[in-house]
Amino acid sequence: MFAFDPYSPAVDADPFPYYRRLRDEQPCFWSAEAQMWVLSRYADIVSAGQDWQTYSSASGNLMTELPGRAGATLGSSDPPKHDRLRGLIQHAFMKRNLLALEEPIRAIAQQVFGQLRGARQFDFKDVSSQFTVKVLMAALGLPTGDEALVDEQTVRDNAVLMVQSDARTRAKGPEHIAAYNWMQDYAGKVIAMRRAEPRNDLISHFSLAEIDGDRLDEREVLLTTTTLIMAGVESLGGFMMMFAYNLATFDEARRAVVANPALLPDAVEESLRFNTSAQRFRRRLMKDVTLHGQTMKEGDFVCLAYGSGNRDERQYPDPDRYDIARKPRGHLGFGGGVHACLGTAIARLAVKIAFEEFHKVVPEYRRMADQLAWMPSSTFRSPLVLDLTVQ
Amino acid sequence: MPHITYIDAAGHSATHNLPEGWNLMLGAINNGVDGIVGECGGSCTCATCHCYVDEARLSDLPPVGEAEASMLEFVAAERRPNSRLACQIKATAALEGLVLHLPDTQE
Repeated sequence: MFAFDPYSPAVDADPFPYYRRLRDEQPCFWSAEAQMWVLSRYADIVSAGQDWQTYSSASGNLMTELPGRAGATLGSSDPPKHDRLRGLIQHAFMKRNLLALEEPIRAIAQQVFGQLRGARQFDFKDVSSQFTVKVLMAALGLPTGDEALVDEQTVRDNAVLMVQSDARTRAKGPEHIAAYNWMQDYAGKVIAMRRAEPRNDLISHFSLAEIDGDRLDEREVLLTTTTLIMAGVESLGGFMMMFAYNLATFDEARRAVVANPALLPDAVEESLRFNTSAQRFRRRLMKDVTLHGQTMKEGDFVCLAYGSGNRDERQYPDPDRYDIARKPRGHLGFGGGVHACLGTAIARLAVKIAFEEFHKVVPEYRRMADQLAWMPSSTFRSPLVLDLTVQ
Repeated sequence: MPHITYIDAAGHSATHNLPEGWNLMLGAINNGVDGIVGECGGSCTCATCHCYVDEARLSDLPPVGEAEASMLEFVAAERRPNSRLACQIKATAALEGLVLHLPDTQE
């Protein structure tokens, strides 16, 4: 009997054959292992993503939710609360307001990728994680340099650990909860620092914000800040690993973007479609829904398998081909609907600059290993290590 | 499944039948209508799905919300009284036959 277990290491490594069977044979599938329905076709995922009144995020949006988080963050709340939280931070993520970050991001990229000069082989994670944390610190206004609370690597390690889950227990393990608690503690210290001496940065503004004279409640401030750090570090870092993985795998695409960096944005969009790091998110039904002959009950959880919708041949012809000339409009690499990723503009900007600078130092590279170790996560997908050889 | 007509700045017109509940930005990009970008995917943070709604039908639309109002300040083309962001308007039966005019630029 066909099973789809989003906790299984086989799904971490290669979910795409499972997705194809789900789409073709059981587009509304009950996963006994995950105890939730799985929607895998593009049109069904988009329709569900649009209908937040039926497919609620207020019980959590991560496939394996962190304790106490649901309802207090942007991703895990529904309108109108969602819109209220988003209104406070959306301006910081708008493209035009990110122009000031372009130069600092390029300086970070030059410093980080400059370390690879003369290297014969390296783990791409070592550079992508340094780059990601430094960019996020600059973008969110996290303390760095003399006022840094911890070293950058510790922030990165905890962000990556807290999104993982245990394949055997199909739950968060103690190490994941400990990372989550560490991140809350760190976010709390940053909030206190910025409240004591506010600066012109996102966390200062957010932690002092009032809406109609009311301050946000402390849990919202703390968990939204925690989530911004987690989502920023994990998602940007994970996506950069996937992008490097694709370019190291598909020689023709890599040579094209190295020869003409103006093609990088198209390659980024195709990577977001082809194998985005944000593979699956969760919703909860507010009423019974019948789809493809199955009745899903009010209160049931539903997985929106974005990574599957992006490979749906009903939407994208020849979906398993990585084609940087495809220009895949409407892809689900950043999710969709009211909960579409807030960080799209900064992610696109940072990845473009990173690979422009990376390719200046290392224009020709290949993957060393055929089989990779993949992160154990029911929500995200990226390799834990990506060893590259310089050609 | 209402029919929505998109007319670009050069006057090219295309009519599409949208699934109930899909927003009008998605309806455009999924049907290859080029005058709408929808860069942020519908989270109302980019103002690149700007459109002009047929004046006579404005009252059939849900009112402009707070997020949309603040983003309408950032549209690239001229903002007019009938300016809306297509990602904030859902396809419903009440919108049957709606015509959207697209600006000459979104970025």
